[in-house]
Amino acid sequence: MSIVSCRGLTREYQQGAITVQALRGVDLDIAPGEFTALMGPSGSGKTTLLNLVGALDRPTAGTITVDGQELGKLSASALSDLRLRRIGFIFQSYNLIPVLSALENAEFVLQLQGVATAERRERVMATLAQVGLQGMEHRRPGELSGGQQQRVAVARAIAGRPALVLADEPTANLDSHTADGLVETMATLNRDHGITFVFATHDPRVMNAARRVVRMVDGKVAEDTRK
Amino acid sequence: MLVLAARNLFRNTRRTVITLLGIAFGLMMVEVAITLQAGQYAELVEKGVSSLAGHVVVQADGWQDGKDELKVLTGASAVTDELRAAFPGATVTPRLLVGGLLTSPRGSVGVGLSGIDAVAEATVQEIDGQVKQGTWLDGDGRGIVIGEKLAESLQVKLGEKVVYLGQHGTATEVQSRLFRVKGIFRTGAAEFDGFLAFADLPAVQEVYGTPDVAHQVALHLGDPEQTDAALATISASLAGRPEVDVLPWPLAIPDVVGMIAVDRKSNNVIMFVIGSIVTMGALNTVLMSAMERTREFGVMMALGLRPRQLARLILTEGVLLGLLGAAMGLALGLGLSYPLVEYGLDYRDTLGESYESGGIVASGLLKGRYNLPRGVGYAGIAVVMTTLSALYPAWFVSRLQPVAAMRHT
Repeated sequence: MSIVSCRGLTREYQQGAITVQALRGVDLDIAPGEFTALMGPSGSGKTTLLNLVGALDRPTAGTITVDGQELGKLSASALSDLRLRRIGFIFQSYNLIPVLSALENAEFVLQLQGVATAERRERVMATLAQVGLQGMEHRRPGELSGGQQQRVAVARAIAGRPALVLADEPTANLDSHTADGLVETMATLNRDHGITFVFATHDPRVMNAARRVVRMVDGKVAEDTRK
Repeated sequence: MLVLAARNLFRNTRRTVITLLGIAFGLMMVEVAITLQAGQYAELVEKGVSSLAGHVVVQADGWQDGKDELKVLTGASAVTDELRAAFPGATVTPRLLVGGLLTSPRGSVGVGLSGIDAVAEATVQEIDGQVKQGTWLDGDGRGIVIGEKLAESLQVKLGEKVVYLGQHGTATEVQSRLFRVKGIFRTGAAEFDGFLAFADLPAVQEVYGTPDVAHQVALHLGDPEQTDAALATISASLAGRPEVDVLPWPLAIPDVVGMIAVDRKSNNVIMFVIGSIVTMGALNTVLMSAMERTREFGVMMALGLRPRQLARLILTEGVLLGLLGAAMGLALGLGLSYPLVEYGLDYRDTLGESYESGGIVASGLLKGRYNLPRGVGYAGIAVVMTTLSALYPAWFVSRLQPVAAMRHT
């Protein structure tokens, strides 16, 4: 059974008088434990597809099923709950909460999930160690490098034990050495813990690490390659 | 969420501090104003109660409405004795108030003559201490104490004779009585110093033409909190006398109470204006702070934060802003009020030593008095208004869509 299933997915935007078709009937299935890269030029629909799969946006037409739940049938509140418990997000520009420490940022989702303080701390400390941030738990984002901030974002995305992690250009703002390390960390998490990752990326390092590459052109899946 | 709200508040420290100072300064002004107000109201009530009434008054039925001189309480001495027996720690002052003409060989002036129990009256009023020449009444029935300006108008000196003329009660002829000026007082209020005169009650009863009458027998309690209990006791004991009214002080000095109520209402308008300005300042801070974080809110929603939790976060920031501002304002207000409570605000240069207000001689030195319940109440209102100012920003963020919010720059 797929963890993500998209059928005839269409998304149109209105820009003034012009209708922009960001997605034009995408069919895509992602199995649990996959490490998938969505690639393609800017405007090909990668981020739009990621937003739809992440229940952040609603399609103009078509259906999306995530972890067995058809998103079109869920209320806004149920979508919030799905994002909270089943989906982790990693963004290009880290998007950490600047007034919270690395530890507090990473435990934010667990706090929303209602996990008890002691368990929360234990799990987050372990997760931060997993992404190589031991000893930096109490630093705020402003005191961390870009790579370290993105690691905190990875820790935040996986701390809640989601079924699926969606990452939008996670290495775009990182230098090559840091990006290598981050890709390796995510590949390890996928391999050792079976976390499903879906990336929207231009980065060849991510594409090399991915076991499946979906190439998108003009809002459609042009090529779907498994390694 | 509380920690996050508190830290959010100080992301832009300068803006938050300016807003806090705005709230604190506004509240401080309100606190100082209510301290002065409380002092003035207390003075008016205390002086009104002591000089125009008592905490509980016994009067002839209907006298309160028009102060009709004919409506007198008969058997005044019995009522006085009964009250003195029932309330041994209190002071009881019988009063008979008449209006007539006071004449001297060199002039005549219309006066208000109060027939009083000189000893009892001296314990509740300041008038005996305001006697600048001569002495206060001693109960011999021959003396009269008059105001300084009245003495000037009559061109009389201490010890000289004056004659009171008046037609009172059911008498068909003008009554007259000779008094000797025993004391001359100065309250500082021209309205009083040029019009009032005091004499012993039996002497005034004599010119009134009826013995043992009074317009009012007033009970002055050591503890004003006992007013209701005393009212109940006296009402019960005089239940068999329907021609008698027993009133608590708010009904006995309605002009003073009404004046305070009107003043308080007009002050409330000013307080509302100050509150509105402060609220607009807080609204600006909370709204700007929320709008600046639109992208961050989008991310938080992507992570699973529900719109109502986001709204709660903003409201919590409003509450914290209000609590901090209110605490600062209360502390500053109480601190700044201290000299007003301790030393007062000296308006004697412009108002004179005293001035007349609502039939009362009020001091030109305006002394404040802490009114902590009202002060804390206004601080609470500041918190509520600041919280209300966060309602719109909270509503604004609760309607954000994650994708649109994350695109916000």
